[in-house]
Amino acid sequence: TGGHTTEILRLLSCLPESYSPRHYVLADSDKMSEAKIRSFEQARAEMFSSSQFTLDRIPRSREVRQSWTSSVATTLYSFLYSVPLTYKLKPDLILCNGPGTCVPVCMSALLLGLLGIKRTIIVYVESICRVETLSLSGKILYYFSDYFIVQWPGLKEKYPKSVYLGRIV
Amino acid sequence: FRFKDSLAEDLGKADLVISHAGAGSCLETLEKGKPLIVVINEKLMNNHQLELAKQLHRDGHVLCCNCSTLVETLQSMDFSTLKPFPPGQPEKFALFLDKVVGFQ
Repeated sequence: TGGHTTEILRLLSCLPESYSPRHYVLADSDKMSEAKIRSFEQARAEMFSSSQFTLDRIPRSREVRQSWTSSVATTLYSFLYSVPLTYKLKPDLILCNGPGTCVPVCMSALLLGLLGIKRTIIVYVESICRVETLSLSGKILYYFSDYFIVQWPGLKEKYPKSVYLGRIV
Repeated sequence: FRFKDSLAEDLGKADLVISHAGAGSCLETLEKGKPLIVVINEKLMNNHQLELAKQLHRDGHVLCCNCSTLVETLQSMDFSTLKPFPPGQPEKFALFLDKVVGFQ
């Protein structure tokens, strides 16, 4: 969604073409991100002729301030939906930065890893908006990601297993 | 102004920006190097949205006030006390990621 997409595209901006093909996974209700992504990828294709990307949608895991119990149900639904997608894509690396959408996708990758089907590296970058506290996705994925990046030193102190590189967006 | 696609053009022409504490608004304004007054309405915003505004204020990048102190802030504002906001460095992320996946 919105701010998350802008941040993630900035993270991608300096990556070389070895990070290809790029598979974007969006929430079905997200109307604005697709345009931003296509425009980013268009500019990229002009620089690198072999540039490739795909775009898929999954049901949104959770609305802002949705209740706990219904969030578990909707996240589970998104998870079931994302398992076949992750199986099809078999990503080497998942990069995510906090929208609810990332939790079911990462969980599917973990499942595939547990089943010995594909081992995916999960890199989570917490949003620059998070100075003192982690987002809900962050709190969950802090334990399940391979690398958890924070952008403010206060968070590095609270979450010692995280990586602090300064502001990267 | 409701829901323009991008404020970039307007930001470019502005001499002063007065904004709510939304992260996108704050960061876009600071990146354009415009002086910024952030108006905080604690009743409307949930706690996490204030984190960035408070930190930017602590770091001396923005002036802060609330709705009732806005006028007095405008009268006494002194932007020479503010520090410039350096851009983020996604290249550091790229270097890190290259090591993680074994590309370097």
